Amino acid sequence: MKRLVSILDGNTFVVSDNRGDIDPSPTFPTGLFSYDTRFLSKWELRVNGERLNPLSVDDLQYFESQFFLVPGEPTHYVDAKLSIIRHRTICGSFMEVLTILNHEDQPVELTVQLDVESDFADLFEIKDVKGKLGTTTATVDENQLRLCYQRETYRRETVITSSAPAEYRPEGLLFNLRIDAHGQWETQILVETLVEGAGGRDIRINLQRHHGRSRDEMRRELDEWLARAPKLTSDCEPLEETYQRSLVDLAALRYTPLATGDRLPTAGLPWFMTLFGRDSIITCLQTLPFTPELTAPTLRYLAMAQGVHLDDFRDQEPGKILHETRYGESTAFEEQPHSPYYGSADSTALFLILLDEYERWSGDTALVAELEHQARAALNWIDRYGDLMGNGYVWFERRNLRNGLENQCWKDSWDSISYSSGRLPDFPRATCELQGYAYDAKMRGARLARLVWGDPLYADRLEREAAELKQRFNRDFWVEKGEYYALALDTEGGQVDALSSNMGHLLWSGIVDEDRAPKVAEHLVGPRLFSGWGVRTLAVGEGRYNPIGYHVGTVWPFDNSLIAWGLRRYGFREEAGRIAEAMIDAAKYFDGRLPEAFAGYDRSLTKYPVQYPTACNPQAWSTGTPMLLIRTLLGLEPHGEHLMVDPAMPEGMGRIEVLDIPGRWGLIDAFGRGRAEHRGAARRGTD
Amino acid sequence: MKELVSVLDGSTFVLSDVQGDIDWSPDYPSGLFAGDTRFLSKWVLTIEGERLTPLSIDDLQYYESRFFLVPGEPTHYVDAKTSVIRHRIVGGGFEERLTVLNHRDEPAVLSLRMEVASDFANLFDARDGHSRTGQSTRTVEDGRLRLCHRRGRHVVETVVSSTEPAEVDEDGFTFRVHLDVHGQWSTTFHAACLMRGADGGDAGERPRGNLPERPDRRRELVRWMAAAPQLTADSDVLEDTYRRSLIDLAALQYFGIAPEEKVTATGLPWYMTVFGRHSLITGYQTLAFLPHLARNALWILALLQGGRLDDFRDEEPGKILHEIRYREPGGFEEQPRSLYYGAADTTPLFVILLDEYEQWTGDAETVRQFEFEARAALTWLDTYGDLMGDGYLWYERRSPKGLENQCWKDSPEAITYADGRLPTHPRATCELQGYKYDAKMRAARLAREFWNDPRYADRLVREAEALKVRFNRDFWIEEGGYYALALDGEGNQVDALASNMGHLLWSGILDEDRAEQVVRHLFGDRLFSGWGVRSLARGQGRYNPVGYHNGAVWPFDNSLIALGLRRYGFEEEAARLALTMFEACRYFDGRLPEAFAGYDRKLTRYPVQYPRACSPFCSSAGTPLALLQALLGLEPHEGHLTIVPAVPEQLGRIELVGVPGRWGRIDAFGHGRLRLAADE
Amino acid sequence: MGSPTDEFFASLEERGPELLPTRARGTIRFDLVEDGRVGHWFVAINRGNVLVSHEKRAADCVVSTEKRLFDEFATGAAHLITAYNRNDVSVQGNLPLLLVFRRTFPSPPGTRDPRERVRARLGGRTGPGRLRTRSPARMERQETQQ
Repeated sequence: MKRLVSILDGNTFVVSDNRGDIDPSPTFPTGLFSYDTRFLSKWELRVNGERLNPLSVDDLQYFESQFFLVPGEPTHYVDAKLSIIRHRTICGSFMEVLTILNHEDQPVELTVQLDVESDFADLFEIKDVKGKLGTTTATVDENQLRLCYQRETYRRETVITSSAPAEYRPEGLLFNLRIDAHGQWETQILVETLVEGAGGRDIRINLQRHHGRSRDEMRRELDEWLARAPKLTSDCEPLEETYQRSLVDLAALRYTPLATGDRLPTAGLPWFMTLFGRDSIITCLQTLPFTPELTAPTLRYLAMAQGVHLDDFRDQEPGKILHETRYGESTAFEEQPHSPYYGSADSTALFLILLDEYERWSGDTALVAELEHQARAALNWIDRYGDLMGNGYVWFERRNLRNGLENQCWKDSWDSISYSSGRLPDFPRATCELQGYAYDAKMRGARLARLVWGDPLYADRLEREAAELKQRFNRDFWVEKGEYYALALDTEGGQVDALSSNMGHLLWSGIVDEDRAPKVAEHLVGPRLFSGWGVRTLAVGEGRYNPIGYHVGTVWPFDNSLIAWGLRRYGFREEAGRIAEAMIDAAKYFDGRLPEAFAGYDRSLTKYPVQYPTACNPQAWSTGTPMLLIRTLLGLEPHGEHLMVDPAMPEGMGRIEVLDIPGRWGLIDAFGRGRAEHRGAARRGTD
Repeated sequence: MKELVSVLDGSTFVLSDVQGDIDWSPDYPSGLFAGDTRFLSKWVLTIEGERLTPLSIDDLQYYESRFFLVPGEPTHYVDAKTSVIRHRIVGGGFEERLTVLNHRDEPAVLSLRMEVASDFANLFDARDGHSRTGQSTRTVEDGRLRLCHRRGRHVVETVVSSTEPAEVDEDGFTFRVHLDVHGQWSTTFHAACLMRGADGGDAGERPRGNLPERPDRRRELVRWMAAAPQLTADSDVLEDTYRRSLIDLAALQYFGIAPEEKVTATGLPWYMTVFGRHSLITGYQTLAFLPHLARNALWILALLQGGRLDDFRDEEPGKILHEIRYREPGGFEEQPRSLYYGAADTTPLFVILLDEYEQWTGDAETVRQFEFEARAALTWLDTYGDLMGDGYLWYERRSPKGLENQCWKDSPEAITYADGRLPTHPRATCELQGYKYDAKMRAARLAREFWNDPRYADRLVREAEALKVRFNRDFWIEEGGYYALALDGEGNQVDALASNMGHLLWSGILDEDRAEQVVRHLFGDRLFSGWGVRSLARGQGRYNPVGYHNGAVWPFDNSLIALGLRRYGFEEEAARLALTMFEACRYFDGRLPEAFAGYDRKLTRYPVQYPRACSPFCSSAGTPLALLQALLGLEPHEGHLTIVPAVPEQLGRIELVGVPGRWGRIDAFGHGRLRLAADE
Repeated sequence: MGSPTDEFFASLEERGPELLPTRARGTIRFDLVEDGRVGHWFVAINRGNVLVSHEKRAADCVVSTEKRLFDEFATGAAHLITAYNRNDVSVQGNLPLLLVFRRTFPSPPGTRDPRERVRARLGGRTGPGRLRTRSPARMERQETQQ
């Protein structure tokens, strides 16, 4: 739990220790990264040969931080005679303003040394460093230090310049200074990262946002972003805090992929600072009522990158929506398949769901018309390549056996899909939520076909298929003995019978038979699945249950947000409220920022929700979670040209007001109130 | 600067890293400490030879915390199969319950090891990294590990045992742990800290007794919280800070030198003992809330009042203690710490607190009881305190190991001229004169009302008034419009601009017509950082924003200034100061440290930590209480509590229910009506 | 008679009332070991008045140490509380009473009044009316005028 400090701007980010130094570590990506490549692996400041000690860190904005440092270990009664302020920003490039204050009553002479290195590691190499195949050179001239990596025609460069005179050396910058009594010295050190394409031009040159954004522009942009979002006020302070935090984190996580000029959400710092089909779609679904501007570019980009042919290395098929895209060296040289990689069986159906949901909110039928071809290709994929077994379900099995994903659903770790006994099923596998998504995608596709594409026959067919799927599903997946839905089917058609959170998504999709819903809801908030902080990924008592297992016992905030939404859909208002409240309670302990996942220990065992070891933070769909919970609590649902509001809030949450919710209706306000005042009695007594 | 996790109970405390391990290194003062001695310097848990990685820490109560850990460095997609919970409690001794959970679908056998060692360093060695004298032994007996250190007759021991059987060797405990499928295993370690008395028996009848039962401890804390007034406020920060302060003050209570009364330890980790100055100031700050803290401070300091001339201890008859240390640090005369008297302010502060205490509580009995000590203190002011024989209060150390500056700013460079030069000795800082004036004015009331000595009272008032006149002549710097920091040995003004003159408002020694100018300085941009009043003004020769007494902001200093501002009618300024302190509280999770950096607020979004500041620190924990008093304008007045709120609108409504005192319990309410002028 | 300890106790009844707070009340017995034999001093304190005897009676506070060491307390050369901290003195019973009694021990031999020290060092430049306070700024100005 070493304290790391990160600032980011989309997929360019710096992670350092709390002195502001970067020391390469094999276990965690510290460094300056851009487009999946590490441009600085060492960035160490020394004054008179000594490392510095931190007093405090100001995280001013997501793209800006400031470190207060002193030399040596100051002790009581021996005051530091210097202090050092490192103020850094990421606005396309990385800029560090170094200020040294002399607190002595006489001039001082100092040697300030900044050691710089770059290993140009691919993000994939950091956990597993391999010998680099290219060569790195450092060249120095009068006013800059250039670190350059070349492998065949692949070239990356880091260029470092200082505003104050410096001695540039291959291993870093050196300053020999004299500072007056109570005086100060300052320099601006600029680090530019060059991603060179053919002809030596930076391939990002066309991206309008890449260079030249000043800190003020960044701030103005953030202010405008916040001003556009609906205003939330609530009696529940943690809710206000987490909403505000989410808005800022969402702004931070927007990035510009190389192929377009639009800004899309990346998945999460530090491992997933790139576009993931699943994560981006779900983030958009969560945030539609609040920041709808993310959705249309995401849909367009995913449609553009849709699979067109069969490609085993990338698990690509025609009509399939991508899983992940990367820009690093290992992808460029086909050591990794992420250019892009298509190994997910859910992103295609989710794409259709988002397209429909987007239209319901925005009324933007033009986009639905524009993407008709891709949407139909996606619907076709569900029935053709998705249905590996030809029995009307969506299945997955990887074809890239070297580094493809074994599990191509959201729980994509190797051991996440298991029988209750802990045994792992064979491939292919059909997890239950995939069937729910397919059902929902068809129902929604039908609506779009009728409304926009003018193809009522197709609509009828889709609805018929969906109804058949629902019937089949409720027959094959229902585990009679335990009265819940199986996690998956195996190749024999047998039930993979672990009790897991996946069936919560079924409520959201609407595939659950009405008379079975109460049983599902009971399981979700029962003691085996519900930890008190949220619904666990896997129930206590299952063979592979592990409260700190990535997909086998931890609690995932995004998962819970979809479950709460599903519970509302089936009328379980109290249960939905309970989950929302638990999540907001947990958010309080993470300073309003829900992580990717946290441990599944019982709430009675822990005063706080326990961190999951390597959880990403911020993580886009965790960031979106509070927004979907607010939507769920207030019961926001577009209905024709109107927004319906039907609040169902737990006692004690008090009042929630959301002003200016954007949509096809213009801007609308929503209010909700918990049935009883939380601290009312105590407060009234003293009024 | 690695993160430290602390649990404490009075003067017993554990500092560990975030894994819960204690692994001493010179720059990392971890350990189990009791009575100024380190009883464990190593306490490292490994599983299969591997250190653990922390997931999170529950700080349950001040004396209790829980660590959630996993072996190794877990990564994405590789789950930890074991988790470990370390649940520890201090209170006299130290107890750690270790639970290992198996998340495998199969049984497991793990080798678990706890490395144990103690260097029995005294706290100063621990801080300064010195080596030590004496002999240490380690013995294994009946499944227990006994670590022992002997220096002359001074014997300290740590006895460590485990409830589950273990292989014990001289360096620790090893367990072969058999875990069922999804099963768990636990053991409880006890580490008893023993200090052998002269007769060889355990000296445990005193301070560091056995571990009280946990339910008792919880009940005690609940009672403590219930005895204090209940605060409800619109401002969550205010409520949180208030609660935190009460808890921290509870955590710092310990049985000092005698089992009769608990007293307040000063600050974690360096000052877990009684300091005269901070006990008295904390007593003053908390009178409206926890008046027994003042009583206990008066009691122990009266008991330890100086009785003779002793150069090594800077002791004189009638002088009130600076600091007390126990056991080895206090037993061998390397440092004068067993009882050290090098403070010139504690003696007047003792008299001031005695009077203030009576005004709140009406406890006349205590005032009568301490008449002897109070008179001895007053005599000291005019005899040994007046080194130069000119009516002022001076200091100069005699002990070669003593403190050069014997006022609250006691670092060697704290008292300077504006140009940074250091003055000659003896020195008379301005606030000492304020305290002396106040002590005499207050003692006059006590002499008249309780000691039946009106002539003495008249004399004290006469002397105090003469002092005030002289002071306003000799300390006032006409050109600058402020009071000098001190007089030097030649009688010249030591002209640095410093926070000290803020205390003059609190003491009442200031001429009314000069108060306005002083206040302007306090809130000028040289002294006011935006987070509070700096100890030394920017622009002075020795100004340093990370200088302990030369630029850092001290919460307790600011609390006395706020009370002083109220005394002279500067309601708005008092409110402003209180507001900025509460704003700072937000960034320290409601717990103000001893001091924080004096950088300009415009430069820093958060108040910047002062390196190695103590936290919690008693008079910083008392600060929010004193500020509440200043905001609500609580004053005892002829047997009644007057309430004259001046609350800034940013703080909204404040309700303090059940303020204890001679009036029984009274409720105080304030509404945020004060609109502060915008910050410049 | 003649040892520092004997002289200390002999003068105690006379010195006590001046040195001890009036509220001090209780009994202390000192068990002093010399050549294997234990000598007893019994001190009864009541409202500052002190009575000393050799009785071996139960007391509120019992202090045991070596006579040799107590001689050093009696002359001021050693310090009772320091010795207690290093276990050269054992105390049973009412420790606060002993802390009050601490006031009766003399200063270390050769200790001077600190005022005399300072005033001797500074010559005649002390005492009331001595002060001619000047700020350094003012001094400089005066110097330049001269």
